[in-house]
Amino acid sequence: MLERLALIVLGMLVVTSCSGEAADTTDIGDLPSIDAAGFEAHLAALERPAVVNVWASWCLPCRSEAPLLAEAHAIHGDRIEFIGVDVEDSQAGAKEFLAEFGLMFDQFFDERRSIPNFYGGFGTPITMFFAPHGELVRIHNGVVDERSLALNIDELIQLSS
Amino acid sequence: MEFTLLWAVLTAVALGWVGLRIWDERLPEDPFDLLIGAALVALVVGRLTAMVSQGVSPITNPGDIIVIRGGVHTGAAAITFLTALLWKTREDRTALDALAPAILLALAGWHAGCLWRDACLGAPSDLPWAWALPGSTVNRHPVEIYAAIGLALGGWLVASLPWRIWLRAGSALVVASGVRLLTETMRPSITGGPTRWYVAGMIAGVILVIAGPRLIRSRSRAPT
Repeated sequence: MLERLALIVLGMLVVTSCSGEAADTTDIGDLPSIDAAGFEAHLAALERPAVVNVWASWCLPCRSEAPLLAEAHAIHGDRIEFIGVDVEDSQAGAKEFLAEFGLMFDQFFDERRSIPNFYGGFGTPITMFFAPHGELVRIHNGVVDERSLALNIDELIQLSS
Repeated sequence: MEFTLLWAVLTAVALGWVGLRIWDERLPEDPFDLLIGAALVALVVGRLTAMVSQGVSPITNPGDIIVIRGGVHTGAAAITFLTALLWKTREDRTALDALAPAILLALAGWHAGCLWRDACLGAPSDLPWAWALPGSTVNRHPVEIYAAIGLALGGWLVASLPWRIWLRAGSALVVASGVRLLTETMRPSITGGPTRWYVAGMIAGVILVIAGPRLIRSRSRAPT
């Protein structure tokens, strides 16, 4: 029984590993650097609520939530501002990550991690939810699951309607 | 944050254990180990399937497998759980029926575990028992509590059914899928939720209830 299950799982792993082509990063420019003060001013100028995802290319859990964020942006991008903040990372790593997951929303580079420190988040990833003009509504430390993301996005929509 | 998920899992395990104590008629040997083993295999397969469907290769990103919060494919996990149970109890035709009420109670525990995770709420509601997220003024359905109550009542209902091959197992599948399907409309979702899997689960459950005895009999008559 166990041997068969192990074979099935191994088979799945082998099959799924056949799509491992390196992502093309030629169309992606360097991410603009920003600090906490600059980011706060950026959010204050926004008329729409915002979902801010703090990530890094070396962060394993960030990879797990990236497809969900891409999907959420595709669905709610017209009503909610999606912003990525790459922390403690390299520009090359950031570009590869963005190319791999196709995150087509605004991205900033925060090498010294000043933004999550300013808002009180810990660890990576972090997802922060802001009302229009940058009022912090909620911080979700760790991987955001679909239900939490959907609920908090709905909360932003309800609060700003 | 991740530890809150662990508390929810422990709540499910605890209620499953209670279910096996309450409804202990005709149980197979080591029923608790059986359920835990099948659930673990289902979790791994469900997680791998979710990763593949998200375009993340488990070979190049093996560390992602343990990031359960990144998503577990409901359909793949449910099918694996039932297949593993069927395989392990293949000599005992009433095992699935005997385990069914406890499985429903364990599922109720998983949903009630939302209280640890602060993740019980769904769509906005004006009903008197609706409550709001901390710091919010928007009251919402405690949808996971609805699901927990529905599944616990379902467990009690299934346990009161008469003994007939796969009647309890099929009914439990209908109850589990039906409760999830009914409450799904109250859950905010990005992907729309695994609604098709719930419908498929209900249909499979009805087929088991209606055709289960015939399937068993035809298998018994087949030459070996």
